[in-house]
Amino acid sequence: MKNIRIIFKREYLSRIKNKSFILLTLITPLIFVAFYAAVAFIAVQSGKSDEYTQVNYLDEHNILSEAVNKDTLSNFIFHKVDHPTEMKELLDNEYLALLHIKDKDRLSIDSLEFISSQTPSITKISSLQSYLTDDIFTQSLGELNITNKQLDELKPRVKFKTLEAKLDGDLKSSNSGLKSGIGMFMAFIIYIFIFIYGSMVMRSTIEEKTNRIVEVIVSSVKPFDLMLGKILGVAAVGLTQFIAWIVLGTGLITVISLVLGLSAGDSSFYQEIAAGGENTAIANDTVSSLIQSVESLPFAKIITVFLLFFVGGYLLYSSLFAAIGSAVNQDSDTQQFMFPVSLPLVFGFIIAQSAVFQDPNGAIAKVFSYIPFTSPVVMSARVAFGISWLEIFTSFFILIATFLFMVWLSARIYRVGILMYGKKPKWKDFAKWIIRKN
Amino acid sequence: MIEIKDLQKSYESGVVNDCISLSIPQGSIFGLLGPNGAGKTTLIRMLATITKPDCGTILFNGEPLESKHTQHMGYMPEERGLYKKMSVWDQLLFFAEIKGVAKNRARKRAKYWLERLDILEWKNKKMEELSKGMAQKVQFLCTIIHEPKFLILDEPFSGFDPVNADLVKELVLEMNKKGTTILFSTHRMDNVEELCDELAIIHQGKIVVCGKSTDIRRAQYKHTYEVGFSSNAPHKWFETHCINQRTNPEAYIIYELSCKDEKEKNTLIQQAQAHSDWVLFRENLPSIHEVFVQTVSEI
Repeated sequence: MKNIRIIFKREYLSRIKNKSFILLTLITPLIFVAFYAAVAFIAVQSGKSDEYTQVNYLDEHNILSEAVNKDTLSNFIFHKVDHPTEMKELLDNEYLALLHIKDKDRLSIDSLEFISSQTPSITKISSLQSYLTDDIFTQSLGELNITNKQLDELKPRVKFKTLEAKLDGDLKSSNSGLKSGIGMFMAFIIYIFIFIYGSMVMRSTIEEKTNRIVEVIVSSVKPFDLMLGKILGVAAVGLTQFIAWIVLGTGLITVISLVLGLSAGDSSFYQEIAAGGENTAIANDTVSSLIQSVESLPFAKIITVFLLFFVGGYLLYSSLFAAIGSAVNQDSDTQQFMFPVSLPLVFGFIIAQSAVFQDPNGAIAKVFSYIPFTSPVVMSARVAFGISWLEIFTSFFILIATFLFMVWLSARIYRVGILMYGKKPKWKDFAKWIIRKN
Repeated sequence: MIEIKDLQKSYESGVVNDCISLSIPQGSIFGLLGPNGAGKTTLIRMLATITKPDCGTILFNGEPLESKHTQHMGYMPEERGLYKKMSVWDQLLFFAEIKGVAKNRARKRAKYWLERLDILEWKNKKMEELSKGMAQKVQFLCTIIHEPKFLILDEPFSGFDPVNADLVKELVLEMNKKGTTILFSTHRMDNVEELCDELAIIHQGKIVVCGKSTDIRRAQYKHTYEVGFSSNAPHKWFETHCINQRTNPEAYIIYELSCKDEKEKNTLIQQAQAHSDWVLFRENLPSIHEVFVQTVSEI
């Protein structure tokens, strides 16, 4: 136990003192925030209507209304071309876009010609199409003496408010989209982190082996203690990095919100966003339902599952990665072993995706959330949809039991592998090492 | 200090150590000799508790060898290295800690040794920043930082530059004087002759020769003597009776003569005394190198 502690301490301290670790820990939240800021900036910029596209159109049968020429709200400036010769001139000279409306019957209009010097984006084409559809539709309504407002009033709005019946008879608002999002996010984070920190254990083992330090260490420390100390040390590094990211990320978001004069809890901010010039009452309803949905999420369960299955999954996979690291002589030899070992994790991630989107409580999702090699990812994807504590702990128990068995198995490979040099190992060598006596 | 009895170890490739029995006396410098692939490292790994024997026993101070004894052992393998990204200081403290040295003591010792080897100012440097010679010094310090009672050095001078090799030699002798038992595994005979009180030759997994270094040399004694003179004056009797003659920095000329019993030896002394330039008279014991080559080639 003492030796595990010493190895743990060395592994942990030497990693967190490392400049690249400190840099990565500090920079990652900044990169995330910068990334989201950039996405938001681009979204805002592209949403702004200061980028107009000039559309010169030749409407031979006056199908479009005169209103399009005066419209300043859309992203298009329409300019009517009166004569085909003028159209020809525009084609010869520089132009932005030409629209040729040949069809006579506006109701069957479906093949307008859009001519431009550069291929237009899909969004531009579809927004122009819907703009023109609206214009023609409004004209048709006008002919029937119906206004847009009247039509809106006639149109029924069917929208579910999803409620979840609790055991105490309480009904709480629930949001499948939100839960899917949270599930996928957690599954993804666990999936990525198992790989990152698992490979850290593997590389550290290879380093000790290639530097030949291992022979000196195993003369004082049992290979099992060395392996476990290393696995736990890297786990602590992972958790430290994680906590640092959460603290830094939260701090950064708070600072940014303060700088922008927004409070994170200020719902009017979200309402403004959601409203976006639409009916404020509907937006208010949506936001309050969303807030209710967030509030109704089983946070204690989500956090518990995340921590338990992140640690459990990492322990299970890192023990396998450590065994691989001990057997090989260089990084490049790991590929052939890494692929089959990490396959269940990749498979788990695929199951998590289908489970979350199709049937989070279906048989497939349930079965794979008990299989220890897939449970960390599948269970964390499902947790937001409501899983009983019994299910969580049964699955976690299976995960830990498997980890203990795998760590024992890996240690048997490890104790022989770390002292084997030269020959590139094969799968059958692993089997031999497992059964070999001392 | 160490008693090895009927030790056996085999791998898939075959028997590596076969019925090995050895005794390493307390306070001795014991040389383990053998050609490459003889099974030296396998034996050493068992002594360092890295691997376990298939059968046989190893006693450490009379007790069956266990992992608790490793606290009193220092081991420097032939292939060596340290953590590249760790500082010299952290490295020393880490190795002291896994050997059970309390933190304060470890700090004091690390400081003492770094000062002693004149590398204290390098204590915060990472291993990857050090020169090879410097790294070798640190490597040796990591092996002895816990002041072991039993020190295993596998080819200690291979890879060391001559200055560091001498330094290690000096430190090893100093530790031996303070009571540390030392096991040398090497095929460098000059070091064995210079340092070892006892030795064992291992060949094809078996101990073929074992005992005090002088006894071993005497066992292969060919009953010859060397008589040296300091000038080129005629030494007619010697020229006719010698089996070999050569020059040497110790004398102008050295004659090697066969001498079967005490009577012949006395005659030899009388003949030597008859010359005023007589400077050397000694038993011609085979060198360890000769013993080694002869033993290995005989099998």
